[in-house]
Amino acid sequence: MSNTTIRTKLRSDELSCPSCVPKIEGALLALPGVENAEVKFGSGRIEVEHDPARTDVAALVSAIAKTGYAAKPSAF
Amino acid sequence: MFSGLMDIYRHPADRHKWLTIASGVFITLALVAWYGFGLAAPWAPLMTSAAVLAGYDIALRAWASLRRRQLSIELLVIVAAIGALFIDNHWESAAVTFLFMLGAWLETRTMSRTRGALKALIDAAPVTATVLRDGETVEVPAHEVALGETVLVRAGERLPVDGEVIEGSAAVNEASITGEPIPAEKSPGSRVFAGTLAENGLLHLRATGVGADTTLARIISRVEEAQEAKAPAQRMIESFGRWYTPGVFVMAVVSYIVTRNVELALTLLVVSCPGALVISTPVSVVAGIGRAARAGILIKGGEHLENAGRITALALDKTGTLTEGQPRLAEVVALTGQNKQDVLLWAAIAETGSNHPLGRPIIEAARKQGALPTATSLEEIAGMGLIARHDGHEIAVGSHRLFDHLGIAFDAEAQDGIARLHGLGHTVVIVARDGAVAGLLGLADMARASARPMIDRLHALGVHRVVMLTGDQRPAAEAIARAVGVDEVHAGMMPDDKLAGIRAMRAEGLHVAMVGDGINDAPALAAADISIAMGASGSDIAIETADIALMTDDLGKIAEAMEIARATLANMRQNLVIAVLTVVGLLFGVYGGTIHMAGGMLVHQLSVLIVILNAMRLLRVPKARRARAAAQTAKRAAA
Repeated sequence: MSNTTIRTKLRSDELSCPSCVPKIEGALLALPGVENAEVKFGSGRIEVEHDPARTDVAALVSAIAKTGYAAKPSAF
Repeated sequence: MFSGLMDIYRHPADRHKWLTIASGVFITLALVAWYGFGLAAPWAPLMTSAAVLAGYDIALRAWASLRRRQLSIELLVIVAAIGALFIDNHWESAAVTFLFMLGAWLETRTMSRTRGALKALIDAAPVTATVLRDGETVEVPAHEVALGETVLVRAGERLPVDGEVIEGSAAVNEASITGEPIPAEKSPGSRVFAGTLAENGLLHLRATGVGADTTLARIISRVEEAQEAKAPAQRMIESFGRWYTPGVFVMAVVSYIVTRNVELALTLLVVSCPGALVISTPVSVVAGIGRAARAGILIKGGEHLENAGRITALALDKTGTLTEGQPRLAEVVALTGQNKQDVLLWAAIAETGSNHPLGRPIIEAARKQGALPTATSLEEIAGMGLIARHDGHEIAVGSHRLFDHLGIAFDAEAQDGIARLHGLGHTVVIVARDGAVAGLLGLADMARASARPMIDRLHALGVHRVVMLTGDQRPAAEAIARAVGVDEVHAGMMPDDKLAGIRAMRAEGLHVAMVGDGINDAPALAAADISIAMGASGSDIAIETADIALMTDDLGKIAEAMEIARATLANMRQNLVIAVLTVVGLLFGVYGGTIHMAGGMLVHQLSVLIVILNAMRLLRVPKARRARAAAQTAKRAAA
C-alpha cells in the first residue's frame, strides 16, 4: 500500500444475497487507483483502499451503483 | 418529469422498484385481458413487455458479473427467461423475471430490517458538533473536533464526542451504549460517550475521543466484525453453495442432452441458486448479534453465539459480580438493656473520625435515623478501631482486637451474637460504652437485587449449574450463595484454583461460561467456553478480550445474552431445515415434473423470504421480557 491510498468505508443496506459480494468487489477493483476492496455481506460494510486522486469516493459510489446497489460513505 | 425519471433510473433501488411495479402492471393487464375479456391477442406482447422490463435490471447485473468472468444467478435467470420466450412460453418468462425482482426487493427490505438494530447505533452519532473556539461557538463536523477542545451540548442533543464534563450538569440517556433506558446524572468530572442523548441541561465537555476513536465507533466496528465473522456452520454451507450452482448448471445441460426437454433444463437454471441455504445462518447471526447490541450486549461473532447457545454451566465471581462490591450495614444487634438506635448512633459518632470503608455505611445508616452529633474527642487506633468521647461518655467501636487491647470482656450474650454474625458471613463491628459492650453491627457485601432473578432465569433456560468461584471465606460466600440461589460454592480460591475449577467442569462434559472482571480471573476466563465481561463501557480491554462484553453492570444482561444466544442457535437450525427442505423439494419437484419455471422461482424466493423473516423474529427475543420488566416496575412501585 503506497502512501497516497486512503481507506474509505461505505455501507449498503441492499445486499440480500452473498452472490453480490464478488460482483461489487470486482467492479471496485477495476477502478484506477483502487488497491483493495472488501464487501462484508453480514453487516453490509464495504471497505476500499484507494488513491483519492485517481478515484474519489463519489466514483466508488457510482461504480457500486452500476452493479445495481446503492451505497453511502460512512465516517466509521 | 424527464429529470425525475433519470433520477429514478440512476438510483439502483428506485429503478429496481419501478421496473418491478411496471412489470407487475403488464402481467396484470395480460391476465385481465385473457381471463376477463377472453382476449388472446395482447397476451404475448404484454407478457413479453413485462419480461423485458423486469429482465432489464437482471440483465444489467448479469452483464456486470459476466464482464468479471463470474457466473451469476442473474445470468442463469436471464438465460432461462430468454429461453422461455424462444419456446413461446411468455407467461413463464414474465413470471420468472417478475418474481425474481419482487423477491429481491422484498429480501433487500427485510434484510435491511435485520441489519437495522445496528443502523440505530450508527445513526446515534451526530454529524456535527458545536465547539467553543476563541470564546465563540462554531459548528464543525463531529470527526474534526480536536482532542481537548470544549464541546457544547444542549438539551435534546446527542453527544458528538467522547469526553469529560467540565461544566454544567444534565441527565444523559446512555441507552445507545449501555442499553440502559434510565438516564444517568452527569456533572463535572463525569465521563460521557458519543451517541448518548442529553435530555436536559447544558454540558461543556472536554473532548477525549473523536470520530472512529469513540466508544460508540468501537462498539459498532466490533459488532460489524462479529456479524462478519463466520460461524462454523456458515463456512460449511458456503463451500456447499460454491459447487451447488455450477452443479445444477451441469445438471441442466446433461438433463437437456438426455431428455431433450428445454423447459426442464430452464427450470433447473431458475432454481440453481441455493438462496435460502447460503443466507440461512448469516441472517440469524446478524439478527442475533444486532439484537444483543441494542441491549448493550456485545457478542463477538457467530462462533461465540453458537458456543453461548450451548452453555450448560455458568461460573462467576462473588465480589462485585453477585454482590455490590461495597459493604453495607446488614444487621444491628442491641444487647439486653440497650436499643438498636443508640447502638448505631454511638458507632456512627465514633466512625466520623475514620475514613475506613466500613465507616461509611454505618454513618449513612445513622444519618437516616436522625441528626448525627459531633464527638468532643476522637482517637483512631490503627487496625483496631476508634475511641470517641461524647456527652461525657466514652465510646469504643472496632474489632475484637480493640477490646482485647482495652481489656473489655465479652459476656455470653455478646459472644453468641458475634459467633452468629460471623456464621452469616458478616464482618462484625463491636460497640461499647463506658467499658461495657452495648451492641454489635454486622456488615456485609450484600447480594445485588438483580442476582436472584438472573439465576432463576438461567435455570429456566437450562443452565443447570450456576457456580460461584470466590477468593472470599466460606461463611460469607455461602451466605451470598443462599441469598441468590447459586447451585455450588467454591470459596477461598486463588486464580489457579478457579482455572482448575473451570477445567474440571469442562471435563465433566459441561459447556461453561465464566463471568469475570478480566484481570485476576484471566486464566479461568481463557479456559471457559465463553468468557463474559461486565461493565465494559469504561474499559476497552474488556471489549477487546471477552467473547461477550456487557456494557453495564446489570446482571440481568447475562441471562438476556444467554436467551439471545439460545434463540439464535435454534433459529439457525430452523433456517437450515427450511433451506435444505427447499433445495431437496425443488430438485424432486423439477425432475418429477410438478414444478415449472414460475413455480420454481416462486418457491425459491419464498424460501429466502421465510428464512429472513424467521431471523427477524430474533429482534424481539426474549418475548416475555417486556412483560417481565413491566411486572418488576409494578412491584417496585408497590414497594
